[in-house]
Amino acid sequence: MATLIGRRLVALFAVLCGLAVIVFVLQAIIPSDPARAMVGASASPEAVAAKARELGYDKPLPQRFADYVGRTATGDLQSSLRTRNEVTDDLATFAPASLELALAAAVLAAFMGIGLALALAAGGRAARVLRVVLVAGASVPGFLVALLAILVFYSLLGVLPASGRVTDTLVLPEGPTQLLLIDSLLALDPGVFGSALAHLVLPAFTLALVPALAIARTLATSLESVMREDYVRTARSKGLRERSIIVRHGLRNAAGPALTMGGLQFGLLLAGIVVVEQIFSWPGLGLYLSQSIAFSDFPAITGTTLLLGTTYVVVNFLVDVAQAAADPRIRTI
Amino acid sequence: MTRHLIAAAVLAAALTIVGCGSTDKKSSKASSDVLRIPYLADMSVPDPDVFYDIEGNSVILNQYEGLLKYAPGSSEIVGSLADSWTVSPDRLTYTFKLHPGVKFHSGAPLTSKSVKAAFQRRLDVGQAPAYMLEPVKSMSTPDDLTFVVKLKSPVNPFEAYMASSWGPKIIGPEAIETNAGKDFGQTYLRTKGDGTGPYKLTAFQRGRQYTLTRNDEYWSTKANFKTVLIKITPDIGTQRLELQNGDLDGIVKSFPASELESLPDSLTVIKKDANLRLLLYVNTSKAPFHDPAVREGLRSTIDVDQLVTQAYAGTATKSVGAYPEAILEGQPELPYAVDAAKAMAAGDKAKTKKITLAYTADESGVQRRVGELLQAKLKEAGFDVTLREVQLPDTYGYVKRLKQAPDLLLQTNTPDAAHPDTWARIVFYSTGGLNFFGFADKGVDKALDDALAAPEDEANKLYLEAGQKVIDSNSIFFLGNVKDVFVLQKDLQGVQSVPAYPWTIDYATLKRGGS
Repeated sequence: MATLIGRRLVALFAVLCGLAVIVFVLQAIIPSDPARAMVGASASPEAVAAKARELGYDKPLPQRFADYVGRTATGDLQSSLRTRNEVTDDLATFAPASLELALAAAVLAAFMGIGLALALAAGGRAARVLRVVLVAGASVPGFLVALLAILVFYSLLGVLPASGRVTDTLVLPEGPTQLLLIDSLLALDPGVFGSALAHLVLPAFTLALVPALAIARTLATSLESVMREDYVRTARSKGLRERSIIVRHGLRNAAGPALTMGGLQFGLLLAGIVVVEQIFSWPGLGLYLSQSIAFSDFPAITGTTLLLGTTYVVVNFLVDVAQAAADPRIRTI
Repeated sequence: MTRHLIAAAVLAAALTIVGCGSTDKKSSKASSDVLRIPYLADMSVPDPDVFYDIEGNSVILNQYEGLLKYAPGSSEIVGSLADSWTVSPDRLTYTFKLHPGVKFHSGAPLTSKSVKAAFQRRLDVGQAPAYMLEPVKSMSTPDDLTFVVKLKSPVNPFEAYMASSWGPKIIGPEAIETNAGKDFGQTYLRTKGDGTGPYKLTAFQRGRQYTLTRNDEYWSTKANFKTVLIKITPDIGTQRLELQNGDLDGIVKSFPASELESLPDSLTVIKKDANLRLLLYVNTSKAPFHDPAVREGLRSTIDVDQLVTQAYAGTATKSVGAYPEAILEGQPELPYAVDAAKAMAAGDKAKTKKITLAYTADESGVQRRVGELLQAKLKEAGFDVTLREVQLPDTYGYVKRLKQAPDLLLQTNTPDAAHPDTWARIVFYSTGGLNFFGFADKGVDKALDDALAAPEDEANKLYLEAGQKVIDSNSIFFLGNVKDVFVLQKDLQGVQSVPAYPWTIDYATLKRGGS
């Protein structure tokens, strides 16, 4: 196990280094002028040049890269050109909302995925219809799901809010986690909790849908295969109830591929955050990133990309370790 | 039994969520005390000496005041914190008489010393809007209510600078002294404020919302709404649905023109004149538009009537002259006339037929629509046009890489103030910030430099002369005057705007019918 963790850590470090290089190259080749964007249209050429000097954009590319690597290695992500705050501070402001949304979506995806997989594994006509629905559902783009969800649940039925993280007139608890559901519970504030939960439903569902369908299909296939194994037949012959066999023997042994798929889908979920947060006005990293891109705010873009990339890599690392813990055969790979 | 308990728990949870959702909606419906307006994006910072964008203008202008301002709906400069002002015959000395009894949000009184401190801070901070005070030679405060500014040389747009939406705003001692820190209060003013305006900034939650609370000690007419919530809602579709459902009171920017006709009766559309102008920039540094004859042909392909009618659906008019009409009188009609034969002949002459037409991203989609209409016309003239959406900061980089830049660029711009210099200097001048393809004409630069200190009549002639040179060069085409379009709840009254303050309404004058 230690060897596996060591190998994965080295791979994790290499991936992060690659990501840092890609982000730098991208900002170097984009024909933008952040210095002019900052000082404005009326600034003199001297003022633009002075700002470019201050930001270090006048230096040769290799020197800029060396500075960038040095700063990033020490956790200095510079100041945002737009908000003027340290990027690390901005990330700390926006990350909790994204974390809450991603966690809710991940939990929802897991439950939906397992539920759908069990329904598929049950077989019959219903399962065939469900399979068609899953294929169709997986091909619907996230933004369309979001818009449909808003149209139905906000506009037509009027039962769920369309935007934001909580009702605008509520005073938010100053909690330790910055996750509204947890902080409002700790503060015993049912108003904020209910509102936060209501605001979470549509964006979390939109984000969870595609991962849930992918997990469901993978788990169902794996489950069908497991349910044909000898030990399952033995369990049946012993008179165990089918539900008990599925839950105690089938799901556990079929979980490996679904876990891998879950890890991969988490990456897609992080990518989906940018669109979903934009549509639902969710004040998280996706919103911060899209606003930063529109401003060519390279420090902010770099910081957010590195944070999201790191999260993705770390989650996949944890999935690898979890799989190895569940299945000893993997530890030797 | 267990199954029933689980089902009951799930039902209860669903009812809780749905209940909270619907309670949210009811509680957020129109209230006489709260005004809800969306922004498409966060503003950069609520600091008037740093802020130099458009999204965020209303937060600045409802919180801070300058010495002068524009009268509602016009380009006439009137007093704001200054009751009156005089200009010396040599146009070097400006004497402002301040309104007595004005207090900052912190409670401190407004005096000439606080005005001087605020002006000095703008220079010390040295960010984008500081250029408006660069001509200042000295400042003095003969008494508590008199503030005198001496300039290094006459600067015609100086009063316009004072009235500009990005002009010097008088920031109070809470920021400039008490919380100045080592950065002239910049850290403090990233989330807080201390102005004299009708609203105070009481919460700045980036990514979520900003809260403006009525200043009950305001020295002039007090605002009607107790609270203004500026909600960050980046998707215009979501904004529209929330407006229709009554969860927003108005949309003041980027409402799609094509959807204005299909609004429900509960909403009203108000169109106001603005100094916004749609421009088509031409890259004259490479083929095919380096050839004046091809540019002449390009001029014959542009059907301005079609653009403003079809793309803007009544929210823009055909441009007259090179400047927004309201800021310079006596401008000539533009010589743009569609001539298919001329256009095709020019297309034949073009060294390359493949061109790129870029347009800056906008939520309303109107610039993309204009781009598509132009694309069709250019195709008729024999060009193969690729449309490309770009971000505004990208366009600033074009002038450094003209050969790699697009051939044409569509963009909507506005001058900093209602004065021809504030338009020509950024769009026509060879080093202007909005002169994206580096149009350069020494005659234009000289005319603008001469106009800066010339007597008004002479200056206006020089501005017209510079404009005519740009028109004749076919390097920039002046397509449309874009209006401010406000889509509001029907019961909202008292809408006031200023052409020089784009996409901005005065929250203080708004009220609900009957409130």
